[in-house]
Amino acid sequence: MNAIWVLMGLLLLAYMGSFLVGGHAIRGIGLPSGAEYVVLGFLVGPGVLGLVERSTLHAFDPLANVALGWLIFVVGAMYGTTGERRVPIPRLVAGWLVTLFTGALVGGAVWLVLPWAAPALAPMDRILLAGGVGAAGSETTRYAVRWVVERHHASGPVSELIGELAEGDDLVPLLAVAVLFALPPADLAIPVPGWGLVGITVGVGVVLGAIAAALLGRTFSIAETWGVLFGVSLLGVGISERLELSTITTLFVLGLSLSILSPHRRALAAMLAPSERPVMLPALLLAGAHVDLGAASYLPFVIAAAVAARIFGKWLVGVGLLAVSRTTRPVGLRLGLGLLPAGALSMSIGLAFALRFQGAVGAVVLTAAAVITLLGEFVGPSSLRAALARLGETRDDAPASSRRAPGAAA
Amino acid sequence: MTAPGAPKEAWTRVVQAFVLVALFIVLLAVTRVVPVLSNRAGTISAIGFLLLTGTLASELVEVVGLPHLSGYLLAGVVAGPHALKLIDHRTVEELSTVNALALALIAMEGGAQLRVEALQKGLRSLGWATLTQSTIVLVISGGVFIAARPFIPFLAPLSPLALAGVGLLWGALAVSRSPAATLGILAQTRAAGPVAEGTVTVVMSSNVVVAVLVAAALVLARPMIDPSASLSMREVQRLGYGLLASVAIGTTLGLVLAAYIRLVGKQLILVFVALGFGLTEMLRYMRFDPLLTFMVAGFVVQNLSRQGERLVESIARTGSVVYVVFFATAGAHVDLPLLRDLWPIALLLCAARGGSTWLASRLAARAAGDPPAVKTWGWAGLIAQAGLTLGIMTVVERDFPSFGAGFRALALSTVAINEMVGPVLFKLALDRSGESMKGPEPSLSSLTDNT
Repeated sequence: MNAIWVLMGLLLLAYMGSFLVGGHAIRGIGLPSGAEYVVLGFLVGPGVLGLVERSTLHAFDPLANVALGWLIFVVGAMYGTTGERRVPIPRLVAGWLVTLFTGALVGGAVWLVLPWAAPALAPMDRILLAGGVGAAGSETTRYAVRWVVERHHASGPVSELIGELAEGDDLVPLLAVAVLFALPPADLAIPVPGWGLVGITVGVGVVLGAIAAALLGRTFSIAETWGVLFGVSLLGVGISERLELSTITTLFVLGLSLSILSPHRRALAAMLAPSERPVMLPALLLAGAHVDLGAASYLPFVIAAAVAARIFGKWLVGVGLLAVSRTTRPVGLRLGLGLLPAGALSMSIGLAFALRFQGAVGAVVLTAAAVITLLGEFVGPSSLRAALARLGETRDDAPASSRRAPGAAA
Repeated sequence: MTAPGAPKEAWTRVVQAFVLVALFIVLLAVTRVVPVLSNRAGTISAIGFLLLTGTLASELVEVVGLPHLSGYLLAGVVAGPHALKLIDHRTVEELSTVNALALALIAMEGGAQLRVEALQKGLRSLGWATLTQSTIVLVISGGVFIAARPFIPFLAPLSPLALAGVGLLWGALAVSRSPAATLGILAQTRAAGPVAEGTVTVVMSSNVVVAVLVAAALVLARPMIDPSASLSMREVQRLGYGLLASVAIGTTLGLVLAAYIRLVGKQLILVFVALGFGLTEMLRYMRFDPLLTFMVAGFVVQNLSRQGERLVESIARTGSVVYVVFFATAGAHVDLPLLRDLWPIALLLCAARGGSTWLASRLAARAAGDPPAVKTWGWAGLIAQAGLTLGIMTVVERDFPSFGAGFRALALSTVAINEMVGPVLFKLALDRSGESMKGPEPSLSSLTDNT
């Protein structure tokens, strides 16, 4: 398929996504994780129907990088907030710990299975694979939680707890990706140690965030603001890519720095939120098209280990929450399964790996992320809904007119 | 950044200057750490860098009364492959793809600025301006070009007839204007009045006039330059088909756009991007003129529907991105070593073009009975040249390889001067004629409105 047609298809998806955000015309259509677009991408991609050839797909790598960057920039700009409210620090820290625990469990399982499944794998590839799958398999997507909460009109302490844990859990996997991308030796004219590269990844984001905040100043002009936001995000993507660093981490830090340093945090969030879904759908489609089930002979074992470890990890998190919070006890172990949905962040990490490590490592991480996202879609939202219903926090009899669209910014 | 039009504090300027320097240092450091690009990261960072530095430079040149476009150009020149080399040649070429979108939007906005009532009111002025500009500028610019033969090496081996042919091509090239520069200055100054309206009308309609002139010049010049070639009307015929098809497609597009804005009215930016890339590619494949097509589409939306204001407003929202990228890229294109070599002759040719434009403008204003402001300043908006001229130059280079390279180099040098001087003159004209800041304030009605 010609690159222009692919571009038109992606724009069409972005267009559809923008209407899903609006929520007036196609209310309620779409899965919380956007997994259907991953599947669609996989079907039209070189793996199944081959409507988009691999060479054409690679022509879109820069676009995919920009889309990922923008998506995560928006995530960073709205990080740690639910609507107008900031997530309390203890809940944020709890979110980090939950993600760190799950990610470590998933990564550890992959690490253990690799010597047996792929004995010839180089040590660096083993680290990247285990780390990458661990990072991609650690989150609970906030979209799924919002989807359940908004569609079933859930409100109460457990809905709030889960929502806040999900809102805060992006930081850990993104930092992990920064570390992993800094591990392989980079082709730089001036040698920089790994920790230095991680520092540059974060530093570029902070500097660009500060520049954007300084440029936006105290007063606010929308026309100029878009230019500044596009400018810093594209420059961030370009610099990170040029230095072979983690683009998504840089852009996350950029968004976060901007939201911390700029007095226009709320206005910026209001501007950026509607752009999230239109960018996400094409990015998920591209990610799906990159999925390669034949990437490596050890792929099934990696996926099996990752999925089992993730289910076990989230189950343990559920057990932990039952132990800590009295309000969650009536829910039972279903709560852990309710934390299984993965989505845009997992797929973004997978796609970032596929773009950075163009070979078996990247393809395996992306494919594992896609399987984790799909599995989460089948089990997660229904479990979460059932758990919240059991707690009496859902109101399915609420009038439809008062419901909000999936994916709408909370 | 402060709201448009508001005066800026000295502290804001200091911060802007500091950030500008910091950005150059950051990219300079990155290019030193990774000197060779292994992927297309350069294009992405170049767009981001030009957006930021162009915006900042435009704010800083405002202090000395220069237009924003000069700031965009300056940022591109300094960062470009002939100065600091932060953006290499390949990246500059790749940025031209992005410019397809910019040109589509600029052309559509240009078309939408043409109102039938204004055209009817100023038909006499437009007619005289078109006639004088097309003839006087062509004759004088071509004549000076021929007279300067001793100083232009690639003209030396040509016979007198061939020289006249090349002079004709040069004259046709000199008639071309820059719609982008005109609209960019108007977007910044929000000017309203006879000079602004007259300039938009002449510049936008000159697109069609120049297309016809260039085609005619090519037809006439070919047998003059190459004695074995015969006078062929194929070029004119092809042009006729192309113009007709472009107008037809543009009209259809305009009607569809108007219906879309009325019935759906959302996500116009996405629609523009799809049109800018998709339709431009299709039109180029069919060898139609994208600029004319989009201009006609804008004209149709403005004059055959009630959606013109919404279209203009939506395009204007992209101005902070579109104009910066377009002109900063144009700045990066400026070949400084070439300009250093050819500046005396390029300056002479620019002076001839500028002088003939002034003369033509005075004569047209007198004949049409235009207001004094137009008589004095009507010429200033017609000096700038950019993308359209470069397009014509490429056609000449392709069709006449024997002297094409030299012709291109000289044309590039004169375009570089005109694109730097033109916007400054036009802004000066609008400021002096008292038309700046008389247009409506840009609408900032809603933060979340992303139509």
